[in-house]
Amino acid sequence: MLTATDDLKNEIKQLIMNTLGISDVDPKDVDNEKPLFGGDNALTLDSVDAIEIIMAIQRTYGVRIADQNLAREVVRSINSIAQFLTEQKGNQSS
Amino acid sequence: MAAHCESGTITSLLNHGGLEITEPLVFGIASGIFFGYFHKMKSFTFPTFIVRNKPGQMRTNIEKRLGARFRTYDFKDAVKGQERLDQLLMQNIPTAAQVDFFYMDYVPSWERVHINVHFLVVTGKEGNTYKISDAYFPKMVELDALSLEKGRFAGGSMSPKGFIFHLDKLPAEIDYTKAITKGISKACFYMLKIPIPILGIKGMRMFAKKVVEWPKFARDTEHLSHEIMKINILLEDQGTGGAGFRFMYATFLQQAAGLINKPQLKELSEELMKIGDGWREISLYSARIGKNRDLGPEKLKQLSDMIYDRADVEERFFKTLSRAIK
Repeated sequence: MLTATDDLKNEIKQLIMNTLGISDVDPKDVDNEKPLFGGDNALTLDSVDAIEIIMAIQRTYGVRIADQNLAREVVRSINSIAQFLTEQKGNQSS
Repeated sequence: MAAHCESGTITSLLNHGGLEITEPLVFGIASGIFFGYFHKMKSFTFPTFIVRNKPGQMRTNIEKRLGARFRTYDFKDAVKGQERLDQLLMQNIPTAAQVDFFYMDYVPSWERVHINVHFLVVTGKEGNTYKISDAYFPKMVELDALSLEKGRFAGGSMSPKGFIFHLDKLPAEIDYTKAITKGISKACFYMLKIPIPILGIKGMRMFAKKVVEWPKFARDTEHLSHEIMKINILLEDQGTGGAGFRFMYATFLQQAAGLINKPQLKELSEELMKIGDGWREISLYSARIGKNRDLGPEKLKQLSDMIYDRADVEERFFKTLSRAIK
């Protein structure tokens, strides 16, 4: 299994913050594993933010997250987004 | 795990019966894709829309087009309804049930809403507990007998009346070319030619025209924002597979292209994925203006323009699709 890099995780944090116009959170404070939704992380996001993030990921990385069950899994945390993107990249190049 | 409860339930029963078929194929062959706008109807307190065909129609269309047969039952009496279900389970027959989603207490309470047309598969019973496969859950779940009974015999609009069905017969052979062609041609008919102004592409244009009038139906801004945000839920979060079933239908076209050797369907699948992205933009826009209570006339006009645009591209799409299968 391919492993997501720290660079990619930082890039994702930056993408989320730029997309949602968040400027008062230090990306270093965003935990990679904690859920992005529900208030346990430095970023406190809701379901509308989730759609924005999915669309930003699709546009930026040229992938598609069509099904909402998959979407829910993917946007759960920084790690899950990074892992999804890494696997997608692996699938494209294999 | 499936995207949608009805197509997922039918797919599970067919798979269990030995037919290898995917949920998108079931959805497409059953002409699941649709659009209808309801501005004023007794059963709705606020204008709304649908993005799939009528509940139950997928099952009957699959029967007609695949030659499969489902046995159906409904009941006036809850005791008899539960007894019949138990008898079927004793015979190891996985049985689909229509329920009110609200009583499915394996679902977290904050996610439960009253929807009388939720479908699931009951696979067994141990003591007073049913084993259930629900499209929205990755694992099997359990439900106590009383909750299932409440769900099966809930009242209200489109009440389930204990409705259950199971696979009775599969055909020896399936003519996929015929089934897929029929499924697509009917979907194109419903989208393009059905002579009712609230249905198909006409319905989309009606939605685009009327959405600017929604404020006059709302009690206040809170109510309006709730209804506008529901556009996002109806398109993205009701087991639609994303973008109001457009992504699932695109997957169907992609799979159908290989199955019946029609490469043009693959190209159309890619086109529909892009069309779906536009619906997702509408979802996001609706969610955003609803959340921000930013619901002035210019915002609703923009929403209306976005819907008109989807109607135009879908009209072109379904005309091309209709020609592709001739």
